[in-house]
Amino acid sequence: MPAEQQKHNELFYACKYTPIELLAGFGATPRIAEADVASFAYADALAHPNLCGYGKGLIERMMAADVHEAVLVTCCDVVRRVYDVLQASGRMDFLYLLDLPHRRGPAEVALFRRRLRALADAYAAYSGVQFDVGAACAACGTGVARADDRVTLMGAHASASLVAEVEKGVGMPVENATCTSRHLKVSPPPQLARMATEPACGACCDGGATPAGNPLDAFLDWYAPALLGQIPCMRMDDIAERSELVGERGQQGVVYHTMKFCDYYGFEYGALAEKDEIPMVKIETDGTSQSEGQLRTRLEAFGETLRARGGAAQQAQPAPAVSGDAPADTKAAAYVMGVDSGSTSTDVVIMDADKHIVATAIVPTGARAADAAARAMDEALSQAGLAASDVALRVSTGYGRDNIEGMDSSVTEITCHARGAHYLAPDARSVIDIGGQDSKVIHLNANGSVAGFVMNDKCAAGTGRFMEAMARVLEMDLDEFCRRGLEWRHEVRITSMCTVFAESEVVSLVAANTPTPDVIHGLDVSVARKTATLASRVGAEPPYLMTGGVAQNEGVVRALSEVLKAPVATHEDSQLCGAIGAALIGLQSLG
Amino acid sequence: MADASAGERLIGWYGGVAEKNLSTRPDFVRNWLMLGFQAMRGKVHLAPYGDLLPSGNHGYQLFMDSVVGALANFDNAVVTSIFTPNEIFHALGARPVTAEAVASFASGAQAEGGFIAAAEGRGVPETYCSYHRILMGMATSGVLGKPRMLASCSVACDANNLTFKTLGRFWGVPHVYVDVPYDVSRDSVLYVADELREMGRATEEAFSRKLDEGRLREACACSERTMRELAATLPTRRRRYLANTMTIDMMEMLDLHLSLGLPECEDLAREMQRDFLAASPYEGVNLVWAHVSPYFLESLGELVNTSKTAQIVASDMMFEHVTAGDAWFDASSPYEFMAERLVRSCFNGPATRRADCIELLARETNADAVVLFCHWGCKQTAGAAQLIRRQLEGAGWPVLVLDGDACDRANCMEGQMSTRFSAFLEMVEKRKEAERHAS
Repeated sequence: MPAEQQKHNELFYACKYTPIELLAGFGATPRIAEADVASFAYADALAHPNLCGYGKGLIERMMAADVHEAVLVTCCDVVRRVYDVLQASGRMDFLYLLDLPHRRGPAEVALFRRRLRALADAYAAYSGVQFDVGAACAACGTGVARADDRVTLMGAHASASLVAEVEKGVGMPVENATCTSRHLKVSPPPQLARMATEPACGACCDGGATPAGNPLDAFLDWYAPALLGQIPCMRMDDIAERSELVGERGQQGVVYHTMKFCDYYGFEYGALAEKDEIPMVKIETDGTSQSEGQLRTRLEAFGETLRARGGAAQQAQPAPAVSGDAPADTKAAAYVMGVDSGSTSTDVVIMDADKHIVATAIVPTGARAADAAARAMDEALSQAGLAASDVALRVSTGYGRDNIEGMDSSVTEITCHARGAHYLAPDARSVIDIGGQDSKVIHLNANGSVAGFVMNDKCAAGTGRFMEAMARVLEMDLDEFCRRGLEWRHEVRITSMCTVFAESEVVSLVAANTPTPDVIHGLDVSVARKTATLASRVGAEPPYLMTGGVAQNEGVVRALSEVLKAPVATHEDSQLCGAIGAALIGLQSLG
Repeated sequence: MADASAGERLIGWYGGVAEKNLSTRPDFVRNWLMLGFQAMRGKVHLAPYGDLLPSGNHGYQLFMDSVVGALANFDNAVVTSIFTPNEIFHALGARPVTAEAVASFASGAQAEGGFIAAAEGRGVPETYCSYHRILMGMATSGVLGKPRMLASCSVACDANNLTFKTLGRFWGVPHVYVDVPYDVSRDSVLYVADELREMGRATEEAFSRKLDEGRLREACACSERTMRELAATLPTRRRRYLANTMTIDMMEMLDLHLSLGLPECEDLAREMQRDFLAASPYEGVNLVWAHVSPYFLESLGELVNTSKTAQIVASDMMFEHVTAGDAWFDASSPYEFMAERLVRSCFNGPATRRADCIELLARETNADAVVLFCHWGCKQTAGAAQLIRRQLEGAGWPVLVLDGDACDRANCMEGQMSTRFSAFLEMVEKRKEAERHAS
């Protein structure tokens, strides 16, 4: 071991089955490799872009200058290849791949114990350090107490920043039960600890006597089944024990984290979603901290849903007044304002105490959400003949909801759309909202509250942006694109939903002289299919109401209706759905 | 692809009918697809392709017989992963059928989109291997019936763990999982052998039949001869016109796993050797193909299918066992024999083992270049791609890493793929020419 490294012999690991306590017994300081990196430049070049974000992040992290020792586990295909890439780089002082069995029976425990011994021997030879059973036992720690009201973060590895983001967004303590979060269920027996301080009795080891023999072997005899005995991750053959992660006392809901190109966790999410035992929201990341806007909306909306479920009135939380205006007299004034700051347009609704809409405004959001909101609010006030001080409460929603001056509170567009949809179409049980930046399906309870929701992943597939991109490829504006799509004669199948791939397909169809309306219809149908898949994930059911900018595209609405095999209604005010919901929530909070 | 042939358009219509009826009439879709599969099976028997070698047509027929036979009698089938040893099932008279074969049928019928959407609707990630997404969609939409059991092994991917475990629960049928240790050692082989014994017991129970150990030894002896025969074809393939296609190569590869242990598979390997020995010389580019191939992309197929310009001379999926070296066990110890094949597979263990296998194939067949196909969702191949490329290029073979999907058209940028493939072949041809001039 190089001398400078002996000072800080940090050993990096990823999998929860890494024997960090064993390695601590050799003086190592195990440290989980946080893989929240800015880019995947090395990983894409040395491996391939189509690996999960955690795997690629691991390559980036492990290639950093401060990493000299690492132990990886054959926990999944990607980590096996991460090991290959690091091994080929030749830059680590100590790199080891521990083979993890898929089962936990006696044969596998014996096999795993032999492998742990081989690792111990390799690390001892590398470090020149003798095993200290006391240090290994001390590293085993004790169990972590569970908070009473908490959400559980399940699924694929979550970085510390993601855990913090979930906690902030949902507004509850987070219990981390993702794949890299480890927790031994048992503590070392006292006999092992005594080995560290007392000489072996030389007799058989029972009745609390100090065990005889090699401390490393004695430790491994206890440790191998303990390490394998954690709540299994999804790659283990028998995962029945994972049911312990859901439904425990105090658990208010589950935030389920999946990652693109991670095979395992989408399956468990699908199974849990079907059971519908506990409120759950899925978040998908690529291991970087991008796409926070979408994540925040989901998490905050989930927090709102949990609080509403908990019986608390779903009230907008008053925020400190930002503008210099004096607060309005809420008893005298009878108007509330809902502001929906979306990626394409900013919509404002002013509503009176009887829930009548008295004014509306829709302006393009443009480059600055705050400026657009100010313009839209002025326009709505002017239309209603009201002064700013006549408005008792202002509630914002949409992506820009926290960046608008003068708001009293903000609520996510999920909750607002649900409320607005129930106002526009009281019978609707599912809202399909396809906006410029995202698409979402909200399943409603009979009273209009959110039963569940799903949002698309961060790519543009199936959103208004996708349609805009395709219209550009066909060299027409969006209105013409929508209109021409209705004139189709023959079915054309567009298989790709990826904007890049679909563009290639459209170009090929154009080159083959396929009539443009048929191409557009093919795109409409592909968006409808993607949306229907999303809808099926949340158990959506008719009657359907479609909102968002894409609801103006009759071709998509018809295609959706055909794919879902049920009518899909639209409403002339559907674009205002979010703003209406925000205003209604404002009215409710006024009592 | 936009400029599809009339045949492709017809199949497109056929697949479209299946897709449209999928959510409401799964029984109709099953019958509709089986009708097409049976028709195709009849066609390859009654009107074999004139431009293929006899072994090519027989490989096609064997594939259609085994897969259509299994699908038609699905409650007597064992759904397996590609590298799971099948000798136990053959010895018991059960019909194994792999995920890759079932998915290839759906993809061949251009019906994969509906099945993939059905799978994704149940939470299967869109970045999951497309073979497995299609199988999951076919199962959960009710188009496949219920097999007798499932058997999978950890070679070569995580999907073999997930898909089969999930489908076992969905169908309520037994699932046997064979966990293959990473290291090549006798310890690993003995561990897997015990797992295979357990698989034998589970199969006996599922089929209510007694496994005749003598028949199992016979099946393993047949496998041993077949593998030897197949390995012997490698040098024979050098510079000979193999008259194959991407489709035929894939089917023969599937045959040599699905039917390994059966006399007809041994016959196929022998016939291949006879055909190749009698084949005419070949001047075009010889390619070793790594991993599966997007056989349905016509523009790629045109470049290598019964082509004088380029051909696939061998694939690592077919010859994954050739790195075996000196075996520890033979067919007289059937469980250890099958276990050793799994443990030593180039798809098990580090990426270097796979690279070594591809290099050996390139050397044995005197290939001109290597194409490494990164099939969508296959992390083991994608993650190893650059390492394999560097090793092979270092050893003197040009390598094309081609991204795409072997069964989901939605993940293929056909125009870009065919441009890259054509340019690569042009480059290799130029290099060959230069070598000829130099010599």
